[in-house]
Formats: sequence, structure tokens, C-alpha cells
Amino acid sequence: MNTEALKDLLYKMADDQLILGHRNSEWTGFGPLLEEDIAFSSMAQDKVGQSWQIYKLLNELGESDPDTVAFMRNAEQFHNCQLVELPNGEYDFSLIRHFLFDTAEMIRFNHLATSSYAPLALLAKKIKGEIKYHTMHANIWVKQLGSATEESIIRLQTSLDSAMPYALGIFESSKFEKELISEGIFRGEETVKSEWLTQVKSILEHTKLTMPNIETITPVFGGRYGKHTAHLQPLLDEMSEVFKEDPTADW
Amino acid sequence: MILKSLDPRVTRLSIELSPDESSVAKDGLDQFETYEAFVQSKEGKPFEHAGPVHAPNEEMAFLFAKEQYSRRGMFCNAICVIKTENIKVSEYTDNGQDIYNLVTDHPSGNENESFEIFHLMKRGKQHKHEGSVLAKDFDDAMAMAKKEFQSDKPVFNVWIVKSAHIMASEDEDKDIWDTLKEKQYREATDYKAADKIKAFKENQA
Amino acid sequence: MYGGGNVFETMKATALADEDPILLAAFEARIDRGEKIEPTDWMPQLYRKQLIRMIEQHAHSEIIGSLPEGTWITRAPGFKRKLALMAKVQDEVGHAQLLYSAAETLGKPREEMITDLINGKSKYSNIFNYPAFTWADSCFISWLVDAGAIVNQIANSKGSYGPYCRALERICAEESFHLKYGHHCVIHLATGTKTQREMMQAAVNRWWAPMMHFFGPSDKISVHSEILMKWKVKMASNDECRQQFLDMYVPKIWELGLTVPDENLKKNTVTGEWEFTEPDWEEFKRVINGDGPCNAERIAVRRTAEERGRWVREALLAPKAKYVAPLA
Repeated sequence: MNTEALKDLLYKMADDQLILGHRNSEWTGFGPLLEEDIAFSSMAQDKVGQSWQIYKLLNELGESDPDTVAFMRNAEQFHNCQLVELPNGEYDFSLIRHFLFDTAEMIRFNHLATSSYAPLALLAKKIKGEIKYHTMHANIWVKQLGSATEESIIRLQTSLDSAMPYALGIFESSKFEKELISEGIFRGEETVKSEWLTQVKSILEHTKLTMPNIETITPVFGGRYGKHTAHLQPLLDEMSEVFKEDPTADW
Repeated sequence: MILKSLDPRVTRLSIELSPDESSVAKDGLDQFETYEAFVQSKEGKPFEHAGPVHAPNEEMAFLFAKEQYSRRGMFCNAICVIKTENIKVSEYTDNGQDIYNLVTDHPSGNENESFEIFHLMKRGKQHKHEGSVLAKDFDDAMAMAKKEFQSDKPVFNVWIVKSAHIMASEDEDKDIWDTLKEKQYREATDYKAADKIKAFKENQA
Repeated sequence: MYGGGNVFETMKATALADEDPILLAAFEARIDRGEKIEPTDWMPQLYRKQLIRMIEQHAHSEIIGSLPEGTWITRAPGFKRKLALMAKVQDEVGHAQLLYSAAETLGKPREEMITDLINGKSKYSNIFNYPAFTWADSCFISWLVDAGAIVNQIANSKGSYGPYCRALERICAEESFHLKYGHHCVIHLATGTKTQREMMQAAVNRWWAPMMHFFGPSDKISVHSEILMKWKVKMASNDECRQQFLDMYVPKIWELGLTVPDENLKKNTVTGEWEFTEPDWEEFKRVINGDGPCNAERIAVRRTAEERGRWVREALLAPKAKYVAPLA
């Protein structure tokens, strides 16, 4: 098995989940209604929990322990797409990002359930239910706010338009697409992307939102290779503020 | 002036602190409808009332109930939600008096519609699903329930709802309660540190 | 997280004069038999009013109580702490939801309670008007403020109102995770490096006075508290809760080599009671009336969350939606 290719895949997925989970946890206590506050926090916890599992797989492949990997790296060492590091904005943006990202997550992990790398296939099966709830949640919310009032439709459309170039960045090819596909580890970003487009469109059809014209959008790439917006490093500094006071201490 | 907080999240909210904030009156419109959520802890166990959620519709009530009443996934097999106004509530009895003794009607024999019956077996406890009956209307369902479910244990209150008014989780979606064993961080049993205290005390001595 | 201090308003001597004596006797007999009161039962106006007030304050204390610990939610050190703190703060929001629901069964809609909170008309636990300066402050809250709340909540869960008892049972079950998590965090800091120990000791020093205030001033024996005790609305006096807390937790604080900033604090071996320096009740009053270090911020955050969520609620609300109170 091509370990370099595998590690690259695991890092980008874990980094996506950690950073988005972290962002979504910022909503705890500030949500638009109490019940949604609770639901959003659960999904943030799921994401951080999933990333922890993947960092554990990386640890088994010889990388540092999960806490060190998550709390001690700098922005340029992170492989998450830029979509997940953007600030939360208002609820419309957080919701649209959740919808676009989790739709891709569901497709990605459906494929990974048959990965030739058994530990990953096993993990994909274990978290299938969590991701199912996340997409159920996202779809119901987008369908409803996307066809409710003038304000909610405009807000979601604006967020959709601004998030889309970044969302396309989820599927930035890695150096190892060929190896991953030929070794049966992962079906590759192009496969996920084409299913994702179909799925996103099919949900938007139930709303008054317009799917942006993908052909004319330049995807925001770079995240997978350590190039990030100015938002990531401050996020990481904040996340590791206590941990870095003494990284050898037992907190 | 923008609120600067010890909480970086709060600082990012960019809250304008104005000296004379007028009071915010919300109109009644802001209040969503009420749904009652019921949880089944294990396959084969009865659904038990868990509590209410406020939601704009049934689908969202379901989304919310799942996280409010079963986020510790290991204790849940299924949930259902029922719009509160669709639940018919009997009188409450007390002091060992069985509510069914107050029912004098006989079942009509008209099995037009299916109703679900929930019992309160002790004041202060939760209503539990007892079973379903076929009947003409709510009063008739109460008479049928007496025939089917009255026993020597007194029932203090009965909730009746048309079966069609229940939204339950689908069997195929049971996996939404599957959790990683790492979800133990939500459990008290995951926080053992007696060894650390012992070692500390020994060091001090 | 609620300590039960300073809850009840003064009662007029005539408050019960208008109640039907037969219904009142039946109501009291039911409570004497140890049976719970359910929402549609007849109850005296005073019982309803005081319960709404108490449960509403409890609910506000949960939602506001999520903020001081929330201060550290994005900075928790390591995966395990990060996940646990997220879950704990989420639980506090969940508790608010449960308690608002219990209060709603008595006839006050949730949105009305939230409006009263953000307009400064309602009280909540004073302790949440203090800032969480360091990670160790959040650990103090998770362990000891929750511990104090559990003392009060376990007592109240044996009260007479069914919906409140049900909510409290659920809450107490979750609080056991909070308590263990908080203790675990404090143990790690107190037995850790020099910096960690100092951080923890500083947090204990900062939070001790608000902790002693948490249970409220000594209750005066009055007709008022007698009737609330008789109706099982108030289940333990403020002093009883404070004594129980000190008895259970001071030894656990001391065993970690931490000190409590009150040189008079000791257990009287003859009476079995804890003795301590009388807390500064003037400060307590000042803070509860709005002049604490974080009162303005706490309310501003809630108000902002409400305002920024308004478009969401308006978009989802069906025009013919009819509010009904929860059943139980």
C-alpha cells in the first residue's frame, strides 16, 4: 500500500473535520433557537470526534499522537480545504457551508466503506449514521429556509454564491489521485465531485434557490497543499492557546 | 462601542454596546408550535414520553427531538414526535383511583380508525405507550382502551392520539443512533482519576 | 446550574384568602401523601406563581450559565477536553430547554420568559456574572458550581411539581458527567506542573466568594418559607444546601493541596457544622441588581443571539401556527 498517498488522504479529511467542527462549536449558546443550538453542537462534536479517529489511524501509521498533530501544527501544515476555515458569519452561511460540506462527506464516506484500507473502511461504516443525520439536518433546513421568506431566500442565495468557489475547493486533486484509485483506497475527488453536484442540485430543486453556474466559477484551491486564508492561523492559535502553555503537561 | 470579551467568540460577534438599549418586545409570532417527543430505549420496550420541543413543523421537531432527548445515543433505539394539540388528555386521578373506573361508555364496535394509548402509572413519572385500539373517535378509543388495557394496577392519566398523527423514526435510519465508543466522553464513568490523587498524596507525605 | 439563592418574592398575608378551602385542602392532602402535582390539577395561585418564578430563574441560569464556560470552548486543551467541554456546554443549553418547558406547563410561554430575560426583568444565578479568566476558571465551574447546583437540584427533584421533578431527574443524570469531568480537570491541574497548580489555586481564590453567595443568604424563618416548604416548592434552606456543599467538597479541595481563601473555614467538631466568614451580602445584592463584572455582557450576548436568529424564526413560522403549552 502506498503509505504516502494514504496519509495525505487521511490528513486532509481529518483536518477538514477538525476545523469545521471547531468552527461549528463556536455556535454553542448563540444559536437561532434553543433546539437548533443543541443539534448544531452535536454535529460539531461528531466532526471533532471523527477527526480524532482519523488522527489515531495516522498515529498507527507512524505520525505523532492526535493531540500533538491537532494542536501543534501551523497553518501551512494543515491540509483542510479553505471552505472550513472561513469565519462562521451569520447562520445562513454556517448552514450553507454545513450543507455543501456534509453532502460531500456523505458521498466520500459511502465510497470509503469499501476502501481497500480496512481500518478506514471500518471507520466509514461506524460513522455512517452520524453523517446521515448531518445530511438529514442540512437538507431539511436548506429546503425550508430556501423556500420561506424573501429575506431567508436572499440570505441563503448570497451565502450559496459566496461559498460555492470554496466548496469546489473541497475536490482539489491531491498528488496521489491515481495511486489512491488504482490501489482501491479511495475513488478519487472527481467521482465525489460529480455525485456531489447531482445531489446538491437535487436538494436545491426543492427550494427557490438557484444553483450557481459551476462552469463560470473558479474553484478556490490551495488548501490541500497548505495554502490558506488569513483566518486559519488565528483559529489555530486560539485552539491551542492553553495546550501550548505547556505541551508536555497533562491537562 | 464594540463589546470586547474574554470569550473570543463573543468578541467576534461584534456586539454594539449602546448605553440606552430599549427593551425588545417580541410578538407572539416568535413562538413555535409544541411537539411531544417519545423515546424507545431498546427494541421491544415501550415508547416513553421524554419531553417537548418547539418546532415549526414535524420534520424539524424530529430533528430537534433526536438531539435533545437522545444525544447519548446508546440509550435510544427509536424516537417519535406528536404535535401536542393532537394529543387528547384524560382527567388526572389520584390516591389509587383508576381513571378507567370513571369511563362508563361501552365500545361502539365501530373500528374506523387506529388510536395509540399512553398510560401514566405514577404521578410524577413519564407516560408510557400501552398499545393501540381501533375505534370511532377519542371517547370511543377511551372505552376500547378500558376494555383492552384495564388491569389491577391503577392508571392515573391517559393520552390518546390518532396513529396517523405520529411521526416515528424509520427502521432503516436506526443507524443515526450508532455512536463511536469514543462518545464515552459524555459519560461520568469515563473520568477516573483516583490513581492520580493517590499518587499526589503519597508524594506529599 | 442553579443554587436556589434569592428566589421568592414576598407574599401578601392575604394571598391564600381567596382560594377555595375545599380545593386547597385536597391539594395539600395530595402533597402530604407524597403524590406529585400535574399541570392540569387545581393549584393555588401562589403555588403557580412561585413555581414559575423559580423554574424560570433556574432555566435562565442554565442558558446564561453556558457563557462563562463557553469562554473556553474554542481553547480546551486536547481532544478529550475539547469534546467534553463542548458536550457540557451543550448540556447546559439542553437543561435550559427542559426547564423552560417545565415552566411553560404552568402557563408562561418560553418566548415570554426569554423576552423577560433579555430585558433584564428576570434574575438568574449571580455566579454567572463573574468572568472566567483562565482555563482553570472553567474547570472550577464544571466541578464546583455544578456540585453546588446538584445539591440544590437533588433536593428540588423531590419537590411536588411533576414536570419540574421530571426535568430535574434528567438534568441530575447529566450533571453526574459534568461533576466527574470537572473534578477530573481540577485533579489534573492541581497535581500537575507548577504553572497548572498556580492557575488552579488562583481560580479557587477568585471563585470562592461567588460560590458562597451561590446558595443565597440565610433564609429567615417566616410564614412565607413555611408554606413553600409545606407545599414542597422549596425543599431545603439556603443554609442547609451551603452546609451540605461544604461538607462534601471542602475535604476534596483540601486533599488536592489547594487552599480555600477563608481562614475561618473549619468544621466545628461539636456541632458538625461548617464555620466560615460571613459572605459579603452587600456585594451579592449589588451584583444581582445589575452591577457585577459581566451582567451587561451576559445579557447583551443573549439579546444578540435572539436578534440575529430572528430572521430564521420568522422564516419558519407558519402564519397560522398556534402555540399550546407542553403537556407534562
